Amino acid sequence: MVTHEDVIAIARLSKLYIPEEELDAMTKAMDDIIKFADTINNASEKGVEFDNINNLSNAFREDEVVPSYDREEILSNANDIDEGHFLVRKRV
Amino acid sequence: MESKIRHYSDMLKNREITCTELTEKFLSGIDTSNKDLNAYVTVTADTAIEAAKKVDEKLSRGEELSLLEGIPMTLKDNISTKGIETTCCSKILEGYKPIYNATVWEALQAQGAVLLGKTNMDEFAMGSSSETSYFGGAANPHNINHVAGGSSGGVASAVGGNIAVYGLGSDTGGSIRQPVSFCGIVGLKPTYGAVSRFGLIAYASSFDQIGPITTTVEDSAIVYDAISGYDKMDSTSQGRKGAPTVDTLKNDIKGMKIGIAREYLEGVRDEVRACIEKACEVYKSLGAEIVYFNLPALKYALPVYYILACAEASSNLGRYDGIRYGYRTDAYKDVNEMICKTRSEGFGDEVKRRIMLGTYVLSAGYYDAYYKKAQNLRGSIVNAFKNAFKTCDVILAPTVPMTAFEKGNAISDPIETYLTDICTVPVNIAGLPGVSIPCGFGENGLPIGMQLIGNTFCESTILNAAWQYENAVGSEVFKSSEYGIKL
Repeated sequence: MVTHEDVIAIARLSKLYIPEEELDAMTKAMDDIIKFADTINNASEKGVEFDNINNLSNAFREDEVVPSYDREEILSNANDIDEGHFLVRKRV
Repeated sequence: MESKIRHYSDMLKNREITCTELTEKFLSGIDTSNKDLNAYVTVTADTAIEAAKKVDEKLSRGEELSLLEGIPMTLKDNISTKGIETTCCSKILEGYKPIYNATVWEALQAQGAVLLGKTNMDEFAMGSSSETSYFGGAANPHNINHVAGGSSGGVASAVGGNIAVYGLGSDTGGSIRQPVSFCGIVGLKPTYGAVSRFGLIAYASSFDQIGPITTTVEDSAIVYDAISGYDKMDSTSQGRKGAPTVDTLKNDIKGMKIGIAREYLEGVRDEVRACIEKACEVYKSLGAEIVYFNLPALKYALPVYYILACAEASSNLGRYDGIRYGYRTDAYKDVNEMICKTRSEGFGDEVKRRIMLGTYVLSAGYYDAYYKKAQNLRGSIVNAFKNAFKTCDVILAPTVPMTAFEKGNAISDPIETYLTDICTVPVNIAGLPGVSIPCGFGENGLPIGMQLIGNTFCESTILNAAWQYENAVGSEVFKSSEYGIKL
């Protein structure tokens, strides 16, 4: 049974705020989903070790130095920048 | 069915139309139809015309065109396009313009593709109706009161509505196959590793694959051949196995063993089951053999998928903090509050639910009971499919248990909506290729789809089986909607 406290704790870990008025609905939704997920614990089989899909191995490439992205280009999507840096306003 | 790509390519090569005129016709089709379909969230008219003019210049110099050159197409809004807004249909990425291209878009651009715009989707590809989109859902071109499906609903609506010749979608748990089933067209989810994911905005990295959405099987093969192969930018991408799929499409399928797993037929609507049975008859008439078997591991596929995909999503979506790109909240006291408020205001409800579920199953105390257990059951499902392919060449199954939902019905109950993914998620869990093609119509006149599932890197086998079926049933089943451009 998922409780309000669980939802608040999970939201904190997820870096999300759940407003007071949405807490009941989110708790119910989470509880329903966890009950649904719980059906795997009724499985009689333990399953088999799984570490990657299709037995793929990593496709490595040579570690070559190549030109990187332009700083101005990278900064162009930020809300706040200052002298070539991402800016987060100081609030004390 | 005639390949649309070849049809338009021939028109260009025979000078029946210029590429600029063709592109303008599609852009005017978007102008007219997008009000109803809401398929496109960004239209790139200027760059499309610019690309078309280059093709015309090439033609006027007497140079040869490649097959995809000058063909107007679209990309799902989670595929990165340099300098063109790529939002994943989320408020949190509103205004975001990538500084690099996805490898698949580089590949198509190199072949002269003309991008008409970016298409609608469920926010971060999380949904089955495209209604979790920040921009509202895409409509079904066969009946606009019904959804196009999801999450690649915009591409399916645009291609099914004839306002793009083809498009690329992404499939994490059925997001290519489900909307094409709803819209009566063709969608291929390739083997995991067959197509580069570089530049695809991640939802669940061990499930995501990019694939083509088209109106014919031949077009699916043409586009798959153009985008598949090893990419040094994606360490999970593999070199393509075998010859181009387009070369073996028309091979005889006499003696091909087509498997039916009984579990796939449980819980699907009668009209869907009837279409699958009818398709079996078509295959028998083509000389294929139908083999029935059980796949009991499928019982746990849905919870396994939702546990693992949400766990991966909770990690992948940790990067959205409002600092380097995308939406940032206005009022905050400290950095932690800025990040939490940015995320809470920027993500929609379904995305928040999946991040929360993913965080829950990865948290101390629950990791073994959910995440670890689900990973082990994933191993069982992979093995079950491996065994199945010892007795058959392809597996035939419904794509979705029903036809397209009415608008507004899909998002009221999350669990009910998750259940509709029952037939599509096993393919992603096992990393297999699957192609969905039309196989009939429901009582409400909406399309029904079926999928052909193959062993890893057996795209050529499933496309061969799909082409033979398409060739046998023709336009009565592969029926175009009334919308859009037909030249």
